[in-house]
Amino acid sequence: MNLFKRKEKATGEILAGGESAIANKEVEGLSQGQIVRRRFFRHRAAVGALVVLTSLIIFVMTALETKIGPIRIPGWWKWTTEDIPALRFEDCPGGTTGCPTLSLNPAGGFGLGTHPFGQDDIGRDYFALTMNGARRSLMIMFVIGAVAGFIGVVVGSIAGFYGKMVDAVLMRLVDFIQTVPTIIIAAVIGKAAGKVGPLYLALFLGILGWTGLARLVRAQFLSLREMEFVDAARVAGASNIRIAFKHILPNAVGQIIVSITLIMAGAILTETALSYLGFGVVAPDVSLGLLISQYESSFTTRPWLFWWPGLFIISIALCVNFIGDGLRDAFDPRQRRRITKKDRLQAKLQSKVGA
Amino acid sequence: MILFGSSFMVYNLAAYASDPLAELRLSNDDSAQQQIAALTRQLNLDTPPPIRYFLWLRGLLGLFVGNLNLGTTRDGLSVQSELAYAIPVTIRLVLVATITAVLLGLALGIISALRQYSRFDYGMTFLAFLLYSLPIFWVAVLLKEFMAIQFNNFLSEPNIPLRWMIIFSIFTGVFWGSLLGGERRRFWTVFGGAFATNFVILWAIDFTDWYLNPGLGPILIALLSVGIAFGVTAISSGITDIKARNAALVMAGLAVVWYYPAQWIFDNYGSYLTVFVLLAVLIATGVFVSRAFSKIDRGPIARTAIITGFICGFLILIDRIMQSWKEYSATDAVNYRPVPTFGQRKDQLVTEDFWLNNLDIIMHLILPTLALILISLAGWIRYSRGALLEVLNQDYIRTARAKGLNERVVITRHAFRNMMLPLSSLFVGEFVGLVGGAVITERVFGWQGMGTLGIKAINSYDLNLLMGVNLLLSFLVVTGNLLADLLYSALDPRIRLRK
Amino acid sequence: MSKDNVLEISDFNVDFWVDGVWYPAVIDMNLGLAAGKVTAIVGESGSGKSTTALGLMSLLASNARMDGSVKVKGEEMLNAKTSVLRSFRGREVAYIFQEPMTALNPLYTIGFQIVETLRSHFDMGPKEAHTRALELITMVDIPNPEQSIFKYPHQLSGGQRQRAMIAQALACDPALLVADEPTTALDVTVQAEILDLMRGLKDKLNSAILLITHDMGVVADMADDILVMKDGITVEHGTADQIFNNPKHPYTQQLLGAVPKLGSTKKRALPYSESAKPAPVLKLTDVTIEYPKRGRQPAFTAVKNFNLEIYPGEIVGLVGESGSGKTTVGRASIGLLPVKGGSIEIVGKEIAGADSKQLSSIRRHTGIVFQDPASSLNPRLPIGESIGEPLYLAGLAKGADLARKVEELLDQVELPRSYRNRYPHELSGGQRQRVGIARALALTPDLLIADEPTSALDVSVQARFLELLQELQGKLNFACLFISHDLAVVDILSHRIAVMQNGLLVEEGDRDQILKNPKNDYTKRLISAVPVPDPKEQKIRREARLATKK
Repeated sequence: MNLFKRKEKATGEILAGGESAIANKEVEGLSQGQIVRRRFFRHRAAVGALVVLTSLIIFVMTALETKIGPIRIPGWWKWTTEDIPALRFEDCPGGTTGCPTLSLNPAGGFGLGTHPFGQDDIGRDYFALTMNGARRSLMIMFVIGAVAGFIGVVVGSIAGFYGKMVDAVLMRLVDFIQTVPTIIIAAVIGKAAGKVGPLYLALFLGILGWTGLARLVRAQFLSLREMEFVDAARVAGASNIRIAFKHILPNAVGQIIVSITLIMAGAILTETALSYLGFGVVAPDVSLGLLISQYESSFTTRPWLFWWPGLFIISIALCVNFIGDGLRDAFDPRQRRRITKKDRLQAKLQSKVGA
Repeated sequence: MILFGSSFMVYNLAAYASDPLAELRLSNDDSAQQQIAALTRQLNLDTPPPIRYFLWLRGLLGLFVGNLNLGTTRDGLSVQSELAYAIPVTIRLVLVATITAVLLGLALGIISALRQYSRFDYGMTFLAFLLYSLPIFWVAVLLKEFMAIQFNNFLSEPNIPLRWMIIFSIFTGVFWGSLLGGERRRFWTVFGGAFATNFVILWAIDFTDWYLNPGLGPILIALLSVGIAFGVTAISSGITDIKARNAALVMAGLAVVWYYPAQWIFDNYGSYLTVFVLLAVLIATGVFVSRAFSKIDRGPIARTAIITGFICGFLILIDRIMQSWKEYSATDAVNYRPVPTFGQRKDQLVTEDFWLNNLDIIMHLILPTLALILISLAGWIRYSRGALLEVLNQDYIRTARAKGLNERVVITRHAFRNMMLPLSSLFVGEFVGLVGGAVITERVFGWQGMGTLGIKAINSYDLNLLMGVNLLLSFLVVTGNLLADLLYSALDPRIRLRK
Repeated sequence: MSKDNVLEISDFNVDFWVDGVWYPAVIDMNLGLAAGKVTAIVGESGSGKSTTALGLMSLLASNARMDGSVKVKGEEMLNAKTSVLRSFRGREVAYIFQEPMTALNPLYTIGFQIVETLRSHFDMGPKEAHTRALELITMVDIPNPEQSIFKYPHQLSGGQRQRAMIAQALACDPALLVADEPTTALDVTVQAEILDLMRGLKDKLNSAILLITHDMGVVADMADDILVMKDGITVEHGTADQIFNNPKHPYTQQLLGAVPKLGSTKKRALPYSESAKPAPVLKLTDVTIEYPKRGRQPAFTAVKNFNLEIYPGEIVGLVGESGSGKTTVGRASIGLLPVKGGSIEIVGKEIAGADSKQLSSIRRHTGIVFQDPASSLNPRLPIGESIGEPLYLAGLAKGADLARKVEELLDQVELPRSYRNRYPHELSGGQRQRVGIARALALTPDLLIADEPTSALDVSVQARFLELLQELQGKLNFACLFISHDLAVVDILSHRIAVMQNGLLVEEGDRDQILKNPKNDYTKRLISAVPVPDPKEQKIRREARLATKK
């Protein structure tokens, strides 16, 4: 350990030249949480993604009827997944049936029509099906995120905090789970659990997916454990629990949140992939992956059956990824934008900074 | 150790989760009872799963005495032979995909990092995000549709509409413009150049109906070889290194000269051995040429020469393969729909011709590889960009610049090697992960690889097969991790040599 | 400013672009440096001295903009063509950086890195370059040159690495050597050797040296001319003699006043009588501390058979270089490290083997101040909470009572009460260290352990901090174990001094006795290696030291 730390770092100057002393001026009086929030909202793509995702979630969740126990909250969409209205065939290209009535063409009239996403083989409204599938996938995504997040944080923190024996054992466990090829075991579980319901599927997938997060948390704990303020707390009389929860964990929160968003993005892709293969959500339940697998052969003739579920998956995954990236930047900011010639000319000269 | 544990767990899990007799139980057939009994006997279903596991284990341990017995599948085939057949299929697919994804990802990531916060960088980052969020099965099906079915349709009536030419050229122009250009003027110059070149190429293709009888031809190869010689020299030794440049040009020249003799060799002696021999000859030539050019300091010159030679040689190879296209399309099996969507090769295509065979294999590889590449690429772009950015912030890069080294050397010699250190162990991990994850691609494209076997096993409750697949995959993962660690310690002198 | 100066800087300005505003880092600098001379640029952090050094050869980040003129051997460097710049870098102007471990590429041998410099500037073949590299490595006194040339940076010691950097810098016989804090990361004895080396080489090769440092002792040892910078402005410029003996600008005077000078403080009486010693506050008896085996690394004995007693009201300075074990002793004394053998008693109670409850109650008699202000406070807690934590956990105060006590503590360390709700990142390093003291004194301990508390602080901040510590110690009368590598600082504070080397206690005694009349060889070497901020005196010391070396 180098005892002779650079003097520059202590009082805030990075070798790039006094920048962080200047940067510190912007964050006077704010707590860490507020700083992070501010930085996040500067990240346009992430904020955009957040907006899109939230609206998407609300849109999807409320579209159809929700049943919580005995309470039924009606959705705003007129069809449900059980209705089987008559198959439309007017205006359908190539003699197919059930084509979408969504029309963005100003000439023909801007409107939704009766079946904006079209209809499936037997006439069920595709929009309802897609909404239902999206709901499933969203729910599974959040459950996986929560379960994997929880287990990952707990295991990682215990391993990192206590070290030695405990750490070795827990890391063996992590290796063990990582060794099992995910797809295979997920498929096996999926096949069994799929019949029981998507919730159990989500739980199992969560139990499989926490290893990366655990490693990260462990690494954070291992490094934070060596920090001097932990020693100071220990000398002040703090118990291990207090140190872990009040001192270490809050400082690791940033990385944890970012990791969880990435897990969620991966989760939705995994779940839809499994459903596609037939191991995840199975009929009669609906999942976006299942829809795609059911109709992949009809892509040439009835492309709408294929496009809409796919687009939803992509949007959700993309939004979550962007949000994750925005969060990462917010917690650990790097340099700012590149300086263009225009910037250089326009910038004003600050009078002497009394750093 | 871990292997045992995980296989034990999988076995039991699968056993409890599955019930091979389920279907039979539901059947109302008269013979159902007998079938149930037969199946029970066959699969030892009356013994509890943990015990069955040990029976299986005994078969596995037979490996050490040279008598491996992984049991038989439901269909009565030996698990071993099934696996032995499936593994190379999967590996072939994944290997090509990984290598290409890595090379491409590295290139794009490095350029992104070097031009941080430029339009190119943002574009690449966005692209990486997009690719990362794509569900592979969706992409695969889309590829099937557009690249295969539509393309085949297109080939039957080949005619590139003008608007496509323009749009495509615009895209290429933008790409190269943002890559090479920085300031406005340079951007538009490069854009113009790329647009024009691309447009001309497309028009020429259309005009000559090139896709009916494709090939590069000696003239094009000559032009490309010279360009490659310059390009490789620029990166590998610096454009000012005259000796290296000349050596590379000599190699390019040799490649052109070899073109016709190579055709003769290919036609008469087409086989893997030939390719291998030619490769050895190429490397030897490279060394010889570099020797001729300089007594001292042969290393970098040889490197430049060999790389140039390699790429030019590769071009000639591709050209030859392309020459088989017409013949290929005309065969019954292909029937003028050359882009296949199913299987690893056309079984109906029976031919002695080495080149036709390889063309067939390659055609079948294209789409699934493309699918896999699209997904892996995202990761690699981000990893390499992040790694390079981190390295560029280090002190030793500043020292290198302060020493007066030119930027090219700073990047290729100092930054690159340091950046590759963590990435190399990542490579192994990704490869292994992809082997397991290629399941979906296999299913979409109908390849009989490990993934398909695994799915079949799960669907038919075939425990032996499942265990076999699982064992192999886990083994790969464990070996992969080990290899990655070894690689890292071998490459990093800080670990390799302690004080 | 003559025309044949190796380096000629006129009206040099550097600004940094941050979020649309240009912040000046260097303002109107002028400097002339002739061959064979050493000019030192001194300043505290943020003064712009490193920026100047890097800016000379346009090595700053892309958001920097430079103005004015920098001429090396008559050739303009600013906004020059890249080819010109590159031909000068490494060839006429060579750099030596602060941290050789990170400044050298860890993946290449030192021989390769030197050869690389040679071959990129000269048309040399590999064999020729190798021979020259070997010459250079021998010239900088790296042991076993033939083998060392194939070693990687991590295989060398800190001092050897810096020598390797110097060898690399001198490879092309540069006219100007820019040394950016070259010895800050080194032990004091190694520092002396490196400075000797640099001086010798300068004389032999007649190169000019631009030395960037904050250490006035090093400046007194090396510099012919001195430039003092503050916030980017050149505050004063003159010969070493002028600056040290007749500083004109108030900042220079303040800076020189703040530098601790070895042997300058008056005699100090021990706060107890030798014959009737009270019960010791801290007693270490035959202590051995070992770091357990970790994977391939064998168990490492950090401290062996260590004996020390600290009596109430006195300050004992524990000095040593890196690896001497002093920090280990400090941490073990407060129970943060397990003790393998021997006993540690605080106010008579044994720490070794105490269970957690006993340990907590013992710890109420102690406080500790850490070295690194950046990591000694939890960034997510307002400092009031950090300060109040010991009180809260000991059950001594809660709620409004706690708040009041925290405010009292803040008063004690001369920080405004309103800082209670501020976060660590809003405070400067010096302020954070004060918070550290406040926290350590929260329980009015009998024993304060200070682990290198000023190593990371600027000189003037350090001076204020030491003043504060002395005041507090006088008022509250606690005993203090002050751990430091800086003998001059220890000189100011302590009543007694203990010297450690390689885990052993080498010498111990009264402060004046140790500093003026050391008995142990190592102590003697240590003391003679410390540079004093007075050129004449330093010259005498240096010559005496070199004489004993021979």
